[in-house]
Amino acid sequence: MNPILECNGLTKTFGPKKALSDINLKIGQGQIVGLLGPNGSGKTTLIKIATALLTPSSGEIQISGMKPGLGTKKIVSYLPEKNYLNDWMRVRDIIGMFKDFYEDFNPEKACDMLKRLNISADDRLKTLSKGTKEKVQLILVMSREAKLYLLDEPIGGVDPAARDYILETIIGNYNPEATVLISTHLIYDVEKILDHVIFINEGRLVLSSSVDEIREQGKSVDGLFREVFRC
Amino acid sequence: MLGKLIKYELKATGRTFLPLYAALLVFAAVTKLTYLLSDSGDNIPAVISLILYIIILTGMFVMTFVVMIQRFYKNLLSDEGYLMFTLPVETWKHITSKLLVSVIWNIGSIAAAILSIVILSIDDIISGEMKTELSIDIAGSTTALALFELILACIAGMVFGILIIYASIAWGHLSKRHRIMASIGAFLALATFSQIMFFCFTVMPVAKALQERGDILYIGLDRSLTIYHWFMWILIAFLVILSALFFAITNYVLNRELNLE
Repeated sequence: MNPILECNGLTKTFGPKKALSDINLKIGQGQIVGLLGPNGSGKTTLIKIATALLTPSSGEIQISGMKPGLGTKKIVSYLPEKNYLNDWMRVRDIIGMFKDFYEDFNPEKACDMLKRLNISADDRLKTLSKGTKEKVQLILVMSREAKLYLLDEPIGGVDPAARDYILETIIGNYNPEATVLISTHLIYDVEKILDHVIFINEGRLVLSSSVDEIREQGKSVDGLFREVFRC
Repeated sequence: MLGKLIKYELKATGRTFLPLYAALLVFAAVTKLTYLLSDSGDNIPAVISLILYIIILTGMFVMTFVVMIQRFYKNLLSDEGYLMFTLPVETWKHITSKLLVSVIWNIGSIAAAILSIVILSIDDIISGEMKTELSIDIAGSTTALALFELILACIAGMVFGILIIYASIAWGHLSKRHRIMASIGAFLALATFSQIMFFCFTVMPVAKALQERGDILYIGLDRSLTIYHWFMWILIAFLVILSALFFAITNYVLNRELNLE
């Protein structure tokens, strides 16, 4: 099966600093992948190159055989770690905007999730709390029927109760052929839903392994992470 | 997709401009009314209203300029860019939608200003005092053509002015740090370049033609109009070519060298 995401010698430098260094990686379809690493390890940089928000310094990344661009944007659903919502819109407007631009967006699904999280479609985005904005963004992203979901710190800013709901949403809302890449340092919380993990540190790939293989060694992902990234 | 981008761009900016236009027209009308209703020369409410009108008028043109820069920079190159650049839309459509909407508000602001002046001088217009000045031979195909060329040149100038700023911001984006300073530097460079080009390809040829065939100015209005037509079309072509260059620079950077922080 063709990989949904493939990196070959992917390198990104910011001035003298190497954010990513010669990453070679293949991610197959139909799994939930954890992109794990301490703060500043290059997780966000990798995802931003995959979404064409950053240009690689050398090497390349391919999504479903395509370089990041118009073709990949149609099949990638991306949740940034930032708030990208326009202040002037209401929740309803941003849902309309997603419906206008993404063919695979399902507005009914989005409205259901909004109701479950008690977010009113009439609320102005400006007045929402930081956590609620994150939830709105996650709802938008998970209401698409994409081939690849790139979720950058999806549970970083919300309370543990919402965290569980969000993880349920992620598992419950993606189709089994799609791939979900979750970047986080809160490993314990996501461990139970992951099929595959990728460890990166200081811009280098440390490990790419299935969770089953890790468990066969009698370890947990959280335990292995602490072992690998011992300070 | 271009149509949808324009729709959202109009919505995002209309919230600023439509109330401003309304306020401008209201204050023009209030000024006129207070002025008409008072008999004596010194009329404090009319003066206050006039001052407010002038403030709004100035503010409107400042906002037209500020919003043009802010929409490009904030919506595309700051956090909101995370949304815009992950939409499945070609980069040139983002630039085109911003450009078109900016031109629309430029024209809108000028139209609002003209309309407000009409309101302020409504009694003069009705009584016909301004008619004589306005009706200087508007008929005649040459004059109509000259007017058309003038309007076209103004629009081309607007497009040029907007794209030079987009290109400067895009160029500044190439800098790793100090992007705003780099953008200002890029603007100075592009403006200087444009002025040199303007001098070489627009002023010089026309000046040369005048030097050699200057006598035709004395022959008659028709001949001097020929020179005017020539100059206008050279000017328009010049603006279009430089605008295309600036568009290409902006498109290249946003397509190939995008690095959102």
